Amino acid sequence: MTPESSRTITVDVNGVSYERDVEARKLLIHFLRDDLDLTGSHVGCDTGNCGACSVLVDGVLLKSCMLLAVQADGASIRTVEGLGSDGELDALQQAFSDHHALQCGYCTPGMLVSATWLLERNPRPSEEEIRRAIQGNICRCTGYVNIVRAIQAASGQEVSE
Amino acid sequence: MTETTVTPERPLVVEETETKPGFVGQNVPRKEDRRLVQGQGVFFDDVKRHGMGYVHFVRSPYGHAKIRSIDVARALEVGGVYGTLTGDEVAILTDPFFELSTPPGAHIKDYALAVGKVRHVGEPVAAVVASSRELARDAAELVEVEYEPLPAIVDGEAALAEGAPILHEDAGSNVVWSGLFDWGDFEAAKAEADHVVRIERLHFDRFSSTPLECAGCLVEYNRGTGQWTMYCNHQMPGVGAIWMAPALRVGIDKLRFVTQDIGGAFGNKICLHPQFVACCLLARKLGRPIQWTEWRTDQHTANAHGNERTFLDVEVPVRSDGTMLGFSVRAIDDCGAFPRYEPLGCIIWAQVTPGCYRWRNIRVDFTQVVTNKSPVSPNRGYSRMQHLWLTERIVDIVARELGLDPVEVRKRNYVQREEMPYTTPNGCVYDSGDYARCLDIALELIGYDRLEERRRDAEARGKLLGFGIGSTLDSGTNNFGQSTLLNPELQFSGNNEVATVKLDIFGEIVVTLGTVPQGQGHETTAAQVVADILGCTPDDVNVRPGHDSYWNSHAGLSGTYASQFAVTGLGAVKGATEKLAAEMRKLASLVLGCSEDDIELAESQARIKGNPEAALPFMALGAILNANNAGLPTDVDISLNARYMYRPPFDLPDKERKYGNLTLTYATQIHACLVEVDPETGGYEIVDYAAVDDCGKRIHPQIVEGQVHGATAQALGAATHEIFAYDEDGNLLTPNFYDYHVPHALDMPPMRNGYIESESPFTPLGAKGMGEGGGAGIHAVCAALSDALGKTVTRSCNPYHRVWELMRSEDRGVTVESR
Amino acid sequence: MLLREVEYARPASVRDAVRLLAEHDGARALAGGQTLVNVMKARAASPDVLVDLNGLDELEGIELGSDGTLEIGAMTTYTEIVESAEARARPILGEVCAQIADVQVRNRGTIGGNVCSNDPTNHLPPLMVALGATMTIRGADGERTVPAEEFFLGVYMTAAGPGELLTKVTIPAGKGDGFASLPIGRDGTCIVNVAASLDGGAPRVAIGCVDAVPILVRPESAEDDAVRGAVRAAGLQPPDDVHASAEYRRHLAEVLAARAVRAAKERVS
Repeated sequence: MTPESSRTITVDVNGVSYERDVEARKLLIHFLRDDLDLTGSHVGCDTGNCGACSVLVDGVLLKSCMLLAVQADGASIRTVEGLGSDGELDALQQAFSDHHALQCGYCTPGMLVSATWLLERNPRPSEEEIRRAIQGNICRCTGYVNIVRAIQAASGQEVSE
Repeated sequence: MTETTVTPERPLVVEETETKPGFVGQNVPRKEDRRLVQGQGVFFDDVKRHGMGYVHFVRSPYGHAKIRSIDVARALEVGGVYGTLTGDEVAILTDPFFELSTPPGAHIKDYALAVGKVRHVGEPVAAVVASSRELARDAAELVEVEYEPLPAIVDGEAALAEGAPILHEDAGSNVVWSGLFDWGDFEAAKAEADHVVRIERLHFDRFSSTPLECAGCLVEYNRGTGQWTMYCNHQMPGVGAIWMAPALRVGIDKLRFVTQDIGGAFGNKICLHPQFVACCLLARKLGRPIQWTEWRTDQHTANAHGNERTFLDVEVPVRSDGTMLGFSVRAIDDCGAFPRYEPLGCIIWAQVTPGCYRWRNIRVDFTQVVTNKSPVSPNRGYSRMQHLWLTERIVDIVARELGLDPVEVRKRNYVQREEMPYTTPNGCVYDSGDYARCLDIALELIGYDRLEERRRDAEARGKLLGFGIGSTLDSGTNNFGQSTLLNPELQFSGNNEVATVKLDIFGEIVVTLGTVPQGQGHETTAAQVVADILGCTPDDVNVRPGHDSYWNSHAGLSGTYASQFAVTGLGAVKGATEKLAAEMRKLASLVLGCSEDDIELAESQARIKGNPEAALPFMALGAILNANNAGLPTDVDISLNARYMYRPPFDLPDKERKYGNLTLTYATQIHACLVEVDPETGGYEIVDYAAVDDCGKRIHPQIVEGQVHGATAQALGAATHEIFAYDEDGNLLTPNFYDYHVPHALDMPPMRNGYIESESPFTPLGAKGMGEGGGAGIHAVCAALSDALGKTVTRSCNPYHRVWELMRSEDRGVTVESR
Repeated sequence: MLLREVEYARPASVRDAVRLLAEHDGARALAGGQTLVNVMKARAASPDVLVDLNGLDELEGIELGSDGTLEIGAMTTYTEIVESAEARARPILGEVCAQIADVQVRNRGTIGGNVCSNDPTNHLPPLMVALGATMTIRGADGERTVPAEEFFLGVYMTAAGPGELLTKVTIPAGKGDGFASLPIGRDGTCIVNVAASLDGGAPRVAIGCVDAVPILVRPESAEDDAVRGAVRAAGLQPPDDVHASAEYRRHLAEVLAARAVRAAKERVS
């Protein structure tokens, strides 16, 4: 077992398998954006606070800036590009648009991934549960008001005022 | 105005103007959304070019220091490093950036990299370019810079003190600009007053909107043509080019700005020209595309704070019935190490000189200084927010001192609806508004009549309840002539924005804007306006996303700033579309053989009124002109490609009296909040919140509401935890989101929103610019804390430790002199 | 934001992990990474070798003994603690873990990482001290246990030294616990936090954020006056920083200690 400064990793991202050589020090977010050209996930900070890089790794909601790419070897990753299918928006994406839950759209991929994680585990969350689920996603545009409403709507619940 | 019926549980009050048929005024689906929710937006960092080099800036660790030497040799030895740039090169290859101020500020020399000395922590000193981000970062550590530290100034008043270290030797002073504004007759007002309330010191703290996407660019240099293309997020390219072109010693046309999606800007992406020039020089020097990504710490430390302002010796003459006659103040504005867009902040507050109030006698002694802190940029609410905070503090402090009701005192002093349009003491014209009505709605929404009951309930739980109001104005669409009140030599006045609309060969309608949207929905609202004029639907209108100098649909002042898109941007769209519509009718009349007046545009056709059979679909019009035009008279000027520049109706202000209309529109924000303070810890929570907004005709109500929510959240952050605090050496103590806590989802209070529409008589659509807000949340929270604690709040940002200090200290700094 | 070059290893067993840590001087264990990756981004510290503990079954899992003792693997995440039926035997554990940051952090951050990084503002060090937890450390020479109050040695320094690994945390049976804090924003960084436990005789009150390590205070009784007096008598010398002066932290320590004990009392009754 020798430590290596780079490795060949295999990751499944949104159902597609990729094999790449990668430096051990490369963050998963940079691997996704720069190596795989999946630029939907974003970088908004450098201390793991903002959540713009949020992805699902083996179904677990994580910040991809807090993981090394090599740690994702063998994992199955879902990013915003893997929501919806064939260019059709899924219910959450549509609800975000219907309820004006995005303005600049920069936090939106992370928000959608966090919301997806939430609704897959908790199909009818309370408002508090929704806010807890997106607590790790910073938005500077919306004040979160419409984001909460969109998630409520997507879960088939009444939208708060 | 018609009143919309509201079901009792919905805490949403909307009073809309008469609904006209059409898309304007409706919540049409946003065009921007599809790509953004699929992660298919194109932000600058998503753009890649073969062979691009990544930049890492070597930045100053000192707040103030001489640069003794810079040695890049070791960095250049690293494999994969493409090259470097230092201040010495910059000083040879470029001229200093254009300064807006008069002397002494005029003599400040500002370059793309530090030249000779550093003046704030984080100031770029050298740049390293390498084949990967990580490598550039590694190589940057090998650049050896020798500094000779100097004493740092981190306080605006200290910058003015005798013997203070001077930041810019060429200026010989730390003063950027100073001047006296004196309207009405303040001394007479003081003599006439029953009371004069004096407030020793108020301080508006340093913070910024910290857009989630940081600044950045990918710059390509075309060696054959000498042109640079910058894929970036500069939100005011018109002015960016005015700074960059002379510095680079090229014509404006050599700078092409291209933006598509931008992750928020809020004024923080206006002064990016220094880093962009460094990237341009590197692209030319190294012969490859250059990519720069700013990281969060860089943004907090070294790119754009909001103005920090100290207000000293405030004097307010008041009559016994609570009528205030004006105020006098000495203001010191701290703009950080380099002015850049400053000293415009020294006049922009004058757009709202008396705030929401009818005060006629106002004297402001204003000085702006440099300090060893991050330079400022026109952050959301720019300069007006700081001033409006002063007016709100004045109202609440005077009310407290004289035992008056803050609600009644506001109503007594508010400009009344009947007085609109209202000319302020310095000649600004408030176009329309009904502040008292907005206040009533806010009070209703927050349940003001149950205030005492809530106070008792809070007390029973060991908490102190506080209630506060914040009333502000969002002045929008600048008259740049206000710059001449600071520097009579400046050749700026009025404003402009451009749009083009064309009807293409297959009947496609294509719009290009001069603006630079960052989430405000320009594509959507532009399409609404076009659709109503051309008689089609917004889905038929293709608005190109973002900004591109190559489209030539911009002008000198193009950009997205100063709450003006609904006026200037949409004014340009309206003008261009009306031109296009006139050409379409002309062409149709030629083809159909009738008079132009007989043609109407409806259902995507040009047709003879009353004879729907005689119709040309848009596709036919476009095809005839573009591909099949034989037989058309050649002396008729039709291109089906219209360009229009909107110019708001402004005059040059009177430089002597510092008098004139400085902004076209004034949107209203009246907010109310309830806080609960834990008296044992100083911790507090905002437990309820109401925001009433009036921006005239709402083009797209959801977009307006979204802006209100967002501006409120930013204001609440600025009121509670968001502060750029420094130590005495000029180190920023809050450089990241751990220590600079912005509101997250669980931090937000319940929000109750209300809207009325007081149309503007001055704008093409009756809409007013909005979006900045005036920081009403800050004013409301300060007032509420003051109410809860029974103490005078003198700082705009009140983190828990400040509340605790306030609780245990004696209230001082306010005196009342009565007749 | 960008890490220095580093070497990475993913051992298949705890024994391999310990061996790697012992063999390489500049080796650090990588647990959840929610602190270490940030430290490396800032280049405040740059280990030469990262030994990734993720996926080591031996370090995962929560066992509830018949005597009510909980054995928590060092790589157990905060989310796992929050959701664990076993951990409910000592409810304060899940309640405190649920206050840490956000879902993403809780899904990856671990109890081992939290205590071993020993950031003065962390939640778990004072909690472990108050509960009288025991830390099991494995080194090349074998295993040893250290009581929590001797485990924390300095900022980012614990009894698990170079070449050693914290493998599990043992929590004795009990229920009379309380926790009080003043965070910056909901679930944000704590300005001061205090954990209290009334089990096992006299109250144990552990104060975080006031020193390099949690400060344990043993008031004579669980009465407010006794608690506050004991905190004052501890002569705390907290740091001054942008969020609080030393004096403010001292004051908060008193107030929050009283609240934590009151919360513990409510649980006992």
